[in-house]
Amino acid sequence: MAAYLTHQQKVLRLYKKSLRHLESWCIHRDKYRYFACLLRDRFDKNKDVKDMVKATELLKAGEQEFWANQHPQPYIFADSPGGIAYERYEMYKIPEWCLDFWHPSEKAMYPDYFAKREQWKKLQRESWEREIKQLQEETPADGPRTEALPPARKEGHLPPMWWQHVTRPREQPM
Amino acid sequence: MDLPLVLNTSMLLTLTILLTPIIFPLLSNSLKNTPDIITNTVKTSFLISLIPMTIFMHSGTESLTSFWEWKFITNFKIPISLKMDMYSLTFFPIALFVSWSILQFATWYMASDPYITKFFTYLLFFLVAMLILIIANNLFILFIGWEGVGIMSFLLISWWHGRAEANTAALQAVLYNRIGDIGLILCMAWLASTMNTWEIQQIVTPQQTPTLPLLGLILAATGKSAQFGLHPWLPAAMEGPTPVSALLHSSTMVVAGIFLLIRTHPLFNNNQTALTLCLCLGALSTLFAATCALTQNDIKKIIAFSTSSQLGLMMVTIGLNLPQLAFLHISTHAFFKAMLFLCSGSIIHNLNGEQDIRKMGGLQKMLPTTTSCLTIGNLALMGTPFLAGFYSKDQIIECLNTSYLNTWALLLTLLATSFTAVYTIRMTVLVQTGFVRIPPLTPMNENNPAVTSPITRLALGSIMAGFIITSFMIPMKTPPTTMPTYIKAMAMLVTVLGIIMALEISKMTQTMILTKQGRFSNFSTSLGYFNPLVHRISTTNLLSGGQNIASHLIDLSWYKKLGPEGLASLQLAATKTSTTLHSGLIKAYLGCFALSILIALMSTY
Repeated sequence: MAAYLTHQQKVLRLYKKSLRHLESWCIHRDKYRYFACLLRDRFDKNKDVKDMVKATELLKAGEQEFWANQHPQPYIFADSPGGIAYERYEMYKIPEWCLDFWHPSEKAMYPDYFAKREQWKKLQRESWEREIKQLQEETPADGPRTEALPPARKEGHLPPMWWQHVTRPREQPM
Repeated sequence: MDLPLVLNTSMLLTLTILLTPIIFPLLSNSLKNTPDIITNTVKTSFLISLIPMTIFMHSGTESLTSFWEWKFITNFKIPISLKMDMYSLTFFPIALFVSWSILQFATWYMASDPYITKFFTYLLFFLVAMLILIIANNLFILFIGWEGVGIMSFLLISWWHGRAEANTAALQAVLYNRIGDIGLILCMAWLASTMNTWEIQQIVTPQQTPTLPLLGLILAATGKSAQFGLHPWLPAAMEGPTPVSALLHSSTMVVAGIFLLIRTHPLFNNNQTALTLCLCLGALSTLFAATCALTQNDIKKIIAFSTSSQLGLMMVTIGLNLPQLAFLHISTHAFFKAMLFLCSGSIIHNLNGEQDIRKMGGLQKMLPTTTSCLTIGNLALMGTPFLAGFYSKDQIIECLNTSYLNTWALLLTLLATSFTAVYTIRMTVLVQTGFVRIPPLTPMNENNPAVTSPITRLALGSIMAGFIITSFMIPMKTPPTTMPTYIKAMAMLVTVLGIIMALEISKMTQTMILTKQGRFSNFSTSLGYFNPLVHRISTTNLLSGGQNIASHLIDLSWYKKLGPEGLASLQLAATKTSTTLHSGLIKAYLGCFALSILIALMSTY
C-alpha cells in the first residue's frame, strides 16, 4: 500500500471526524441532524472544484476550522483506541502456545482435546511452507497493497496465516 | 448483663467473621471460596455489628480494648489498642451494610470475569484494612490500615491490568497517597519524640499545638481524601470496575483522611492556623471539584468529582472545629454515593459498557427501579429536606453561615453547593429524561434481584439514615440556635437557584444554536489544566535535578572547585600576582628593603 493519502481520502476523513465532533457538541439527535445537514451542504458546495491547488487550500482551511472547533472530550466508542473498554480484556488473551507448557498431569485431564491438538499442529507444520510460498508469489515487489490475505488458490491447500486466525483469542472472556 | 463485655466481644466477632473466608481455604482443600460465600460472610458480619451499635444507642457504652503490647524499646511501647466509641460503633454497620450491598451487586456485575473470586477476596481484604483503620486507637494500627487500603486500592484500580490507562491510574493513586503518607509519618515522628506515645488518648497539649505536625496530618488527609493539590488520582481511579469505585472511592477509603482528622481533633482544637488552613483547603477543593464536574460527560467521572466535592465539604467542617458533624456527613454520604455508583453500574452494564451520558437518554421507562433510585440519590446529594444528605449538609452550611470565619470560604462553599445542584440535574436530565440516544436493539432488564435489592436497600438507607443517626447522636458542640430566616434557608435557596439554572441551560441545549467554547467552559473541561502542568513540571524538575546532582554536581565540586583543578586555579591566581611583583628592577627590591627596615624601626618604638 502506498504511504500517501489521496485527496479524496483526506476530504472524507475530515468530513467524518467533523461529523463525530459535531455529534459530541450537539447532544440531542434532532439538533445534530440539522447541523449535520448544514455541514454536508458546505462540503457539497465545493464538490466539483477541479483545480487541485484551490481544493488543497479549501482542505487546509477546513482542517484549521476543525482544529479550532473540536470538542475537548469527543465521544469515543468504548472499544475504540482511547475508549474506556479498549484493551480491557487484554490480560485474559493468553496465546495458544502456552498449552504446550502444561504439565502432563494437567494435560491428562483433557486427553481428547490434546490428541486433536497434536493433529492440528501437525497439519499446521505441513501447510506452513505452502502458505509462505503462496504469499511470496502473490505479493507485488514493492510491498502488499492491502491488509487482506488472499484465499487458498489450489485444491487441498489451506488459506495463508489460517493458524493465526483460528487460534486468535476471544474478544471477551467467558 | 455485662454490656462492655458484650460490646467488645461482638465487635471482635465482627472482625473475625470477616477473616474466615481468607483463613478457611488455607486450612482445608475442600473449603473453597465463592463470591456468594463472601457476600454472605459480609452480611453476617453486618448483622452481628448491629449488636454493639444497639448497645451504644441504648446505653452509651464505649470501650477501649488493648491487648499485647509490643515492647519496642524500653521507653516506648506500642499496644494494640482498639477504641469502640461512637465513631467506630456507628461506622462499622454502615461500612458493612454498604459493602454487603456492593458485593451482592458485584456478583451480577463481574459475573463474566474469570477471576471473580480473586476480585471478591481483594474487596474483602480492603474491607478488613478499612475496619482496622476505623477501630484503631493507636496511630500505628491506623497506619497499618491506612497502608492496607492504599495497597488494595492499587490492586483493585488496576484490576484490568491489560489496559495502559488503568495501570497509570493505579500508579497515580499510589504516588499521591505516598505523598500524603509523608505527612502522617511526620506527625507520628513528632508524637513519638514529644509525647512518647502513639495512643490517641495520651496526646495532651495544654497550650497551643505546634503547627508542623498538624500540617503533616493535613497533608495526609489531602493525599488520602483527594483535596485540591493531591486530587487527580480520584477521577483517574474510575478506571477500576464500578464495584471498586462504589466501595473504595466513594464511601470508605477516601473518607480515611477525614477520619484521621476526626480522631486527632483534640490536637486541632487550639491551633487556629491549622483550622483555617483546613477550612480554606476544603472550600477550594469543593469548588474546584464541582467546577470540573460541570462539563464532564462520563457518568462515573461526574460522580467521582461529586465525591471529591463532598470530601472538600467534610474538610470545611473539620475547619469549623466540628468533627462530629463531619462524621455525620461521612455516614450519610456513604449511603447515597454508593447507591449512585451502583445505579450507574447497572446502567453501564445494561448499555454494554457505554459510560458517556451523551449516548444515554430516556432510561426512565426502561430501567424504572434504577432510575428512581438514581433520582433519590441525586436528591439526597443535593440536600433535599429530610433525606439523608439534608441532616448533615444543611447543618454544615448553617454553622458555616453563623460563624465568624473566612467569608471567602463561605462564598466558595455556597457556590459549590449550587454547582452540585447544576451537575446533578444535568446528569439526571441527560441520563433519564428526553428522547432515547442509545444504540437501538439494546436489550436491557432489571429482572435480576442481585441488581435491584442492593440498590433499593441503599435507597432506603439514603432516606432513613440521616434521621436515625441524628436521633441518637449526642452533639458535643451546641449547634447554632438562632439565625435570620434568609441565613437558615441559604442552602436551600442556593440549591434551588442551581436547579433552575440547570433546567434553563438544558432547555437552551435543545435550541438550534451551536455551543461556543469559552474560557470558563474550557477551564472546566480540562480539569483546571492541573494534570498536564503538575505532572510534567514537577517530575521533569525533580528528575533533571536528580540527574544534575548525581552526574554533574559531584564531578563539578570534587574536581573543579575543591580538588585538583580548584587547587591549581588557586595556585595560578597566587602565582600571577606574585609574578608581577618580580619585575627584575633594582628599584623595586631597594624599595622593599627600605620598607621592611622602616617597619622594623617603627615597631621598636
